[in-house]
Amino acid sequence: MNSTGPPTARPSAVLWSIMDDVSSQPASPELTSPVKASRGLGRLTLDVRQDLSPWKQAVFVGGSLLVGLAISVAILAAAGIAPLTLASELAGVMTAESLRGVLVQAAPLILVGLGASLAFRIGFWNLGLEGQMIFGGIFASAISIDDIGPASVRLVLMGSAAAIGGALWVLLTLFLKIRFRVNEIIATLLLNYVAINFLFHLLYGAWQDAKTAFPQSTPFRPFERLTDIGHGVNSGLLVAIAGVLVAGWLMHLSRIGFYTRFVSANPRMAKIAGVPLQALTVWIIAASGACAGLAGFVNIASQEGRLTQSFANGYVFSGVLIAFLSRNDPIVVPVVGFLIAVLFITGQTLQVFYQIPFTMVQMIEAIIVMAVASSEFLIRHRIRWIR
Amino acid sequence: MVPALQLANIRKSFDGVLALEGASFESQAGQVHALLGENGAGKSSLMNVAAGLYAPDAGSIKVGGLACSLSGPADARSHGIGMVHQHFKLVKPFSIAENVLLANRRPHFSSGIKDIRAAIRKQANELKFDIDPDRQVDALTVAEQQQVEIIKVLVGGVNILILDEPTAVLTDAEAEGLLEIVRRLARSGTAVVLVTHKLQEVKRYADVVTIMRGGKTVASLDPRSATTDQLTELTVGQTVPLPARTPHQGGPTRLNVGALRYARGDGRVMLNKTSFYVRAGEIYGIAGVSGNGQAELAEALIGAITPASGEIWVDTTGDISRAGDAKRREAAIAAIPADRYAFALAGSLSLADNFAVAHIRSGRYGGVALANRAAMRREASTAIKEYDVQGVRSVNQKASLLSGGNAQKLVIAREFSRHPNVVVAHSPSRGLDARACAAVHERLIAARERGAAIVLISEDLDEILSLSDRIGVMTKGVIVGEFDRPADRQAIGRAMVDHG
Repeated sequence: MNSTGPPTARPSAVLWSIMDDVSSQPASPELTSPVKASRGLGRLTLDVRQDLSPWKQAVFVGGSLLVGLAISVAILAAAGIAPLTLASELAGVMTAESLRGVLVQAAPLILVGLGASLAFRIGFWNLGLEGQMIFGGIFASAISIDDIGPASVRLVLMGSAAAIGGALWVLLTLFLKIRFRVNEIIATLLLNYVAINFLFHLLYGAWQDAKTAFPQSTPFRPFERLTDIGHGVNSGLLVAIAGVLVAGWLMHLSRIGFYTRFVSANPRMAKIAGVPLQALTVWIIAASGACAGLAGFVNIASQEGRLTQSFANGYVFSGVLIAFLSRNDPIVVPVVGFLIAVLFITGQTLQVFYQIPFTMVQMIEAIIVMAVASSEFLIRHRIRWIR
Repeated sequence: MVPALQLANIRKSFDGVLALEGASFESQAGQVHALLGENGAGKSSLMNVAAGLYAPDAGSIKVGGLACSLSGPADARSHGIGMVHQHFKLVKPFSIAENVLLANRRPHFSSGIKDIRAAIRKQANELKFDIDPDRQVDALTVAEQQQVEIIKVLVGGVNILILDEPTAVLTDAEAEGLLEIVRRLARSGTAVVLVTHKLQEVKRYADVVTIMRGGKTVASLDPRSATTDQLTELTVGQTVPLPARTPHQGGPTRLNVGALRYARGDGRVMLNKTSFYVRAGEIYGIAGVSGNGQAELAEALIGAITPASGEIWVDTTGDISRAGDAKRREAAIAAIPADRYAFALAGSLSLADNFAVAHIRSGRYGGVALANRAAMRREASTAIKEYDVQGVRSVNQKASLLSGGNAQKLVIAREFSRHPNVVVAHSPSRGLDARACAAVHERLIAARERGAAIVLISEDLDEILSLSDRIGVMTKGVIVGEFDRPADRQAIGRAMVDHG
């Protein structure tokens, strides 16, 4: 291959030593070649890092996050919202009344974030969180509509049904993956559309509210709603916190979590070393779908009070973002989920008072996802300028 | 006449392990020069030095009589040295012309690709290759991909062409055709280096042969004047006296492999009715030139791949060739794979985790609900001391930070502390220094004394000869011959190459 620059004596000793390092490591050899990108000014080289302290990693992630936020602020400013206005709106969200709304919003976000992080932990790219939410919602609503079980345990039944619905919907893609080698990214994403059209089919058909003729189910009965439990905290948040605790225990303390780390670190080796790979994969992915299904249930049983057309809109993005920012750690998920809820509520305010479309919130989420994803590159590579 | 390429006293080490030492090599324009040796003898390493991929630690390189240092493959190319690697370097979704363009850049794509197409047609005509520059590499057979690789190098204008094991991936007829072309290229003035371990090819097509053993070049001679036995002896070395030890007791059959068959994704049959048995307290060595199904055999035995048919019978559990996770664990097969980081360790996880993963099911570290990390760390550090794993600062450090030999000791510590019934070891001493190598061999002997059935797959004939009670020679996925201890080194060497 002809290099783009003038013929040079030899790359730096550092590069060679790193190439040797890597050749003895399992890292992909493609990453070892130096990237040369200049004439005369010196050379930009990429080295693969062996290790980076958690502190420096945090600095890179935090820095990228700030860059992403700065871009978002700039875009909002261009759309007519001065940074000062934005700051005062954000402060407004923190008042007691708005905070209640934030916490109600946080519950499904946390659950959907848990769903994403569980699946991502074993390298299954579950982008069907919305579809699983929808099926969670449909299963929960079916319990209400068919009036199944006594009133005292109705919420438990609805929650369980939602978890099962979400799990079944995601296991369908796992089946496709194992049986027909269908890539799960595509299968989960496209099955979202199947789910939403099935939801429309129900809401424009059998489950349409007879009184109003709107495409939504009849409202849930009072004992089918997740209500406030005092201090402005909705019981949906309790479901989310319970999910966080269970997932945190599973991943950090139990044997399941121990195995899970091997599945993501080296699945071939895990199988040989006796990790029950298949069973583990099925159960973790089912749990991921169950979390998303529960998010659907919490959303309709706390906010909407009935099955609506759009209750799951935009959640797949949020779920991926939360998992990304929390580095798939269930214990960090609620913190990030809360921040995203603040973003959601602020976005709603901006929508009402400043005519900013809600897609702007999704765009900001996307910018943050990209910013954090780029930080991953900096964590894995060192960029050097050699003259 | 000035040699086209001259390598003198080359030394190269990786991570402290010496791959080349005192390796010298000279090739003349107009000749096919074979580089012969066993696997791991350093043939590819030496040629990678010539192709600019490795910078030697010591030694000199002269091209056309002028000393030079090669900074990379591009630099080597500018000196007229081109190499066709054993593993092709092609971008599969791209067309042939695009691949050739990638390696031979032109200032403008649209005019460049036309230029390249013409150059490919011209080269293909000269070599009598039937190649359409616009076909996608994906759609090509392995032999055609190799032709593309050769054209890719020739379009750049080389006068020293290095072919690394070019016939390993070809059928016999394809190989013959290729070697004829190689000879024609040499006659037209190119210096051709043919890296190979096949004696027949050397005798039929090479003008000169240089033989490597253990990272050194041991002889250069005219292959037509030497006998096959002489070449074999130079390649595998002199017979060394075997260490004394307790004779084999002849226990019951513990492992029986019957008519194992496995084909790779590309359709190549790697295991073809492979059959052998191993008794309790016996080390069964499998010798052979690498690439003849040894890797697949090891992977099938340890459960990394599932054979298409045949059986892997273990006395305690019956056939496990297609068994699930639970039954495999019950069979208690210790796995010491050749590629530690691919099959035996999770490099990004800690030493303690890597040690504990094989034992956690026993309940030694608490139940399913609570994994006792402290107990894992305790047992791991005990085992690390017992098995003399060096370079450990803490059991919490990543496994990828261990050097090759110590990583291997960690794997052995984990696998042997399960008291295995059957041990499958593939090249267990690859990349290890003498001390670590001896320690690994000691452990294998100890497991044998305890009554385990041991399958030792190795390309290192010395290792096989010094450890095995019985030796099977594997060629093209078949055990072609079996030898009892003490086995005749020359006979085994012949069995290995005769069928190749």
